[in-house]
Amino acid sequence: MARPVYLDHHATTPVDPRVVDAMLPFFTERFGNAAARQYRLGWEAGEAVEQARKQVAALIGASAKDVIFTSGATESNNLALKGAAAAAAAGRRSIVTVVTEHKAVLDPCRRLEAQGWTVTRLPVEPDGLLDLDRLRAAVDERTALVSVMAANNEIGVLQPLAEVSAIAHAQGALVHTDGVQAAGRVPFDVEAAGVDLASLTAHKLYGPKGVGALYVRRTPRRVAIEPLVDGGGHERGMRSGTLNVPGIVGFGAAAAVARDEMPSEAARLAALRDRLLAALEAGLEGLIVNGAMAPRLPGNLNVSVAGVDGEALLVSLVDDLAVSSGAACTAAEPSHVLKALGRPTDLALASLRFGLGRWTTEADVDFAAARVCEVASRLRAMAPMK
Amino acid sequence: MHHSAEVLARVKAPGRVGALASDDPAVGTGEAGSFDAGTVTRIQVRVDAAARRVVEARFKVFGCSAAIASASLVTERIEGAAVDDVLRLEPAEIQATLALPDERRHVAALAVAAARRAVERWRRDR
Repeated sequence: MARPVYLDHHATTPVDPRVVDAMLPFFTERFGNAAARQYRLGWEAGEAVEQARKQVAALIGASAKDVIFTSGATESNNLALKGAAAAAAAGRRSIVTVVTEHKAVLDPCRRLEAQGWTVTRLPVEPDGLLDLDRLRAAVDERTALVSVMAANNEIGVLQPLAEVSAIAHAQGALVHTDGVQAAGRVPFDVEAAGVDLASLTAHKLYGPKGVGALYVRRTPRRVAIEPLVDGGGHERGMRSGTLNVPGIVGFGAAAAVARDEMPSEAARLAALRDRLLAALEAGLEGLIVNGAMAPRLPGNLNVSVAGVDGEALLVSLVDDLAVSSGAACTAAEPSHVLKALGRPTDLALASLRFGLGRWTTEADVDFAAARVCEVASRLRAMAPMK
Repeated sequence: MHHSAEVLARVKAPGRVGALASDDPAVGTGEAGSFDAGTVTRIQVRVDAAARRVVEARFKVFGCSAAIASASLVTERIEGAAVDDVLRLEPAEIQATLALPDERRHVAALAVAAARRAVERWRRDR
């Protein structure tokens, strides 16, 4: 077993060797510019991009023409939010989102707010799920866009997108979803979800970093967004710039593998995750699960360990486990997601996020549970009495 | 989050964790910090009154890795030290040895304060 055991697949994933193999020729002998259609090297690159576009589209139940390649999910979220805001009708000047969204949604919303937009950030229930009645009350005829993530990056809960879309569409608002954590891990279908815009990235599904996509619906209603980047009119004018052909090819290959393997892989990961939780609960008192266990990403577990300093826990595990914590940033700011669930600061800081992945084994989760239990018990014994 | 090798080594093997019998007149107990603020450091010393030296030091900590490492280093430094030297111990030396980042420096001061209070308490109560 390689140490530290990597259990942070919500942060990023290793590139699958099959994906690397697909990408490699496009760095060297097949290096053409996908926009240079006058000669073979160029049009072959263009064909490879279109093949990848089909593969990414197939993963999310879209048609290939709806997929716009970007540099990653942060760009996709910015393009969706700012692009839709710029194209919105004059009377629609508000955005509705959720407090537990990723910063790549919340920060563009804050930017738009500074520019005069009204932004409503809905709270979540203690289990992390959105209360649809709150959403219904918040969306009206002035709402341009509703942005609700498909799967949360910290606690893995899956939001009810179909219901969200129905509520938003009833008021004529568009729906965007940050689908980064969901795509490739659980069934994520833009038609079933009814969304108009969806952000994706390759590196969460065993593809390369630096390439993402934005799904932009064309039928039955064409969704208009303004580009953030001008210059050349690539990607149907929505995202100019020479295409990252090796990255896009890798994204396509990764999407195809994820789609093929999803049913068996999701079941395998859910069993491993449940095994991890059972071992932690057996070995440690005062364990609190953050977020609903269902509906939830199969490979996600987020727990708080009462009576332990989160940073000390993480540092004590640093040689054994690569996991993320509510205290991940240097300033020891508690996770805004765990705070939104109502966790007090100490429990929000003393949290561990496990993200299991394609190469995680039973031995890995058994080892992880044993180490966490051992270290947490040691830290508790080290603490003076209150 | 980046930590010095010194901090990482001490978190892994902190050494003098534990407690001394606080009703023993040779033992002084000092505490600094608060649970509300996120760090509590308790240091206990056993003092040889004739030699005026700390012969044993133990600590307990609730807090971050830097707090654990600071208490570990402080107890290591004061074990065997003269009582007067403990009272002269400076946080700057602990902070420098552990290469603590600015936002963690206060936890070294807590460990030094706990050690000083332990010795003062021993002196007062014996």
